[in-house]
Amino acid sequence: MSGGRRLALALGVLGFVLLAVAAAALFVGSAGLSPGAVARALAGRAGPESVEAIVTLQLRLPRVLAAMLAGGALAVAGVAFQGLTRNPLAEPSILGVSSGAAFGVVLAQIFGLGLSALEALGVATFAFAGALLAAAAVYVIAAVPGGLSIQTLLLGGVIVGVFFTSAITVLISIVDFNRLGGVVHWLLGNLAPIPAGSLALFALLALTGSWLVLRHARELNLLALGEEAAVQLGVDAERLKRRIFLAAALLTGTVVAFTGPIGFVGLVVPHALRGLLGQDNRLLVPTALVAGGIFLLAADTLARNVVAPAELSVGVITSFCGAPFFVYLLRTRSRISL
Amino acid sequence: MTRRLALLAVLIVPLTAGPAETLSVRDMLGRDVTLPRPAARIVSLVPSVTEIVFALGAEERLVGRTDFCDHPPAVRAKPSVGGMVNPNLETLVALKPDLVIATDEGNLEETVRQLRRLRIPTYLVHANRIAETVDLIARVGELTGRQAAVAKLTGEMLRRVAAVRRAVAPFPRPRVLYVLWPEPLIVPGRSSILTELIEVAGGTSITAGDGDAYPRFSLEAAVARAPEVIILADHSTGSSTAGRPMPEQWQRLASVPAIRAGRLHSADLSVLHRYGPRVPDGLETLARIIHPAAFR
Amino acid sequence: MSALVEFADVAFGYPRSERPGERGFQLESVSFAVEAGEVFGVIGPNSAGKTTLLRLLTRVLTPARGEVRLDGRPIRQLAHAELARQVAVVPQDAPRPFPFSVEQLVLMGRYPHGPGRFFESREDVVLARAAMAATGVLDLAALPLEQLAGGERQRAMLARALAQQPRLLVLDEPTSHLDLRYQAETAALLRRVNVERGMTVLLVSHDLDLAAEVCDRLLLLGGGRVARVGPPADVLRPETLEDVFGCAVVVDVSPVSGRPVVRVAWPSGASLQPGR
Repeated sequence: MSGGRRLALALGVLGFVLLAVAAAALFVGSAGLSPGAVARALAGRAGPESVEAIVTLQLRLPRVLAAMLAGGALAVAGVAFQGLTRNPLAEPSILGVSSGAAFGVVLAQIFGLGLSALEALGVATFAFAGALLAAAAVYVIAAVPGGLSIQTLLLGGVIVGVFFTSAITVLISIVDFNRLGGVVHWLLGNLAPIPAGSLALFALLALTGSWLVLRHARELNLLALGEEAAVQLGVDAERLKRRIFLAAALLTGTVVAFTGPIGFVGLVVPHALRGLLGQDNRLLVPTALVAGGIFLLAADTLARNVVAPAELSVGVITSFCGAPFFVYLLRTRSRISL
Repeated sequence: MTRRLALLAVLIVPLTAGPAETLSVRDMLGRDVTLPRPAARIVSLVPSVTEIVFALGAEERLVGRTDFCDHPPAVRAKPSVGGMVNPNLETLVALKPDLVIATDEGNLEETVRQLRRLRIPTYLVHANRIAETVDLIARVGELTGRQAAVAKLTGEMLRRVAAVRRAVAPFPRPRVLYVLWPEPLIVPGRSSILTELIEVAGGTSITAGDGDAYPRFSLEAAVARAPEVIILADHSTGSSTAGRPMPEQWQRLASVPAIRAGRLHSADLSVLHRYGPRVPDGLETLARIIHPAAFR
Repeated sequence: MSALVEFADVAFGYPRSERPGERGFQLESVSFAVEAGEVFGVIGPNSAGKTTLLRLLTRVLTPARGEVRLDGRPIRQLAHAELARQVAVVPQDAPRPFPFSVEQLVLMGRYPHGPGRFFESREDVVLARAAMAATGVLDLAALPLEQLAGGERQRAMLARALAQQPRLLVLDEPTSHLDLRYQAETAALLRRVNVERGMTVLLVSHDLDLAAEVCDRLLLLGGGRVARVGPPADVLRPETLEDVFGCAVVVDVSPVSGRPVVRVAWPSGASLQPGR
């Protein structure tokens, strides 16, 4: 089967699964709405102030969309980093970008932006600033004359990540007891309903980042030959590395800004897909966008409902379930190459 | 004349009739909130406020609370919307509240923002002093239409507070260290209600000028300030021993005046971390610890 | 016949800091030409600069002085993809880790002919399969490259280069890890590619016998300079070789092909002393 056909088939199947999971997510929740009520709200036939309309359209629907976007963006970032570093263990958080973003947000929360209208934009902006700072730091560390050294990139990313994580720990240790709960809660990663304007921005950034990676998926394959060989085939390796790094940093920073750090998605989803589809990034990138959405949506639905009316943070579920799942993947290593 | 009266009536009637019974108030953080008068379906995200609602006899207007709202025991019958930090919005919305009461110390800004987006009137409270607690009770009275019960409740509270003040007045003020949590050492700071209560109870908190509400503090610095009375907060509840203070660790600090004089106390003072109607109870317990002679 | 490749007075030196432990190396005043359609070998001692030469040819490195020309045009004027359409390189080692199959590897060679395409065209697939057939790895197409034995892997890498349909095929130490049988096969394959497709071949090797057998002309590099250029019989003379390699050699003539055969004159026990 040709590459194009395989991709179409995979996307078709995954798209179907995504719709099914999204539908399930919309119909399940602590408000105890009947399927009929949810359906009415979705069809626009429930009163705008009714419970089903508010819960379905203003709480569940934005959350479902946010989960799809965040999961897809993280999975694509994972594929990108793994292709860039030729290391299947590379995760978006390994580049220090999510720690930088988290640091930005913790800083903002501790200085208490107060309840002004500005702060709605403020937190995400702080996260972005932190992400950019971390990405820039990693880039500067890894830039050697002649270009970007991948080995140094990995090491630099780990170091920058550790630095910001310890900075966060320092902040936590001096923060007032009262504010601690909020900070810790954010650090676990949460999908809260995001207003339509922010959601549109989120979608724009996530899709832009994914598009940047997809455009270069074929060249990313060629990078597996080694940088020198790729150059000899006509690939502009330096430009490719820069663009992939930027795209992955953009995707990671965006997600952390809107939802807090969520781990494991960028590791588990690409691996599962490689087992099914092989190593071709042209197939992995688009399917990761959809499969990542499925994964995070399922995790979030679980987080929302398993101990209702309380809620678990989605980051807890992805780590808790992600870790054993990843061990399982590692043990069935025949399709995974290290 | 009749024509003028008629004209006047035409102008005035719409003004007096108004939209159905709404109240426009300013909450304790200075924001304007419009809500039905009085609120009939209240969700309280603040344990102290929940206590006040019950104390004012307005509990039938309360439709939701948090897991941490534990007093009075009857509150258990009310549905919970989850924690203070992460209440479940769906459950909350399903309760169809017409007013949510939240605080900026304990609830998340994000939660308040979400409620605003859902166009649910949200009233923010903030109380760090006895006077602010009294103000809070009055406001809750206004919100629930139970203004009549406010005076009696707050009057009683203030009477008891004044009585404590009088009882301890003749005595010298010892330096008091209140240990909210031993490790890491957490103490009441500038903006904690405990600081004022210690002062009213006839002591001086050695951490009165430090930090924000409940800052961390170094044991060294505490020892250096030579407290004469140490009070360890007991967080254990009934059967569980977690959070029970461990006096043995403090006995080691032989140089501290409080230890030498045997003035190391522990008490279940969880009520003092709330700003509600039970403040005088805790205050009296605190005063008895600091000045046992005043209450014989 | 015109020169396909020309090195005109090329000089290059790795900056000392980049290669710790190595003395800063220099290529000085290297000039030679490779004729279209010939099999050209580059030989010399280990640090003579053979691999550097290769990197200069494929524009991985830029000369400090002088010019490298392809078909008369300086290669620095060519876009990387355009150069890749003309020159294909078979590296010494297969990349590791390499999680793709043989067919996917060979298809990568089609990239220079359609860098804007997302998926390869049907024609690309046909050409790739033809290249695999030419090197005898077609029935291994679906296997992961890493599962292949050394010789098979080499042939797969060669197929990738052939799929690039270059005018010049460059090989870096094509037989260094191969046993005798695969060495013979590789030599035969290179000859066939050169004759059947008219492809110019440039190979870098420290295997003097392979170079003597397969190549039309040789370039002997010594200490960063051209020691000698010419047919094997001219270049592989004992005096020349002893000068460049620094040890005694014996040169015979192969009874089968008439080509020179170089052997090390193994020193007797008495003269086996350091510094000699």
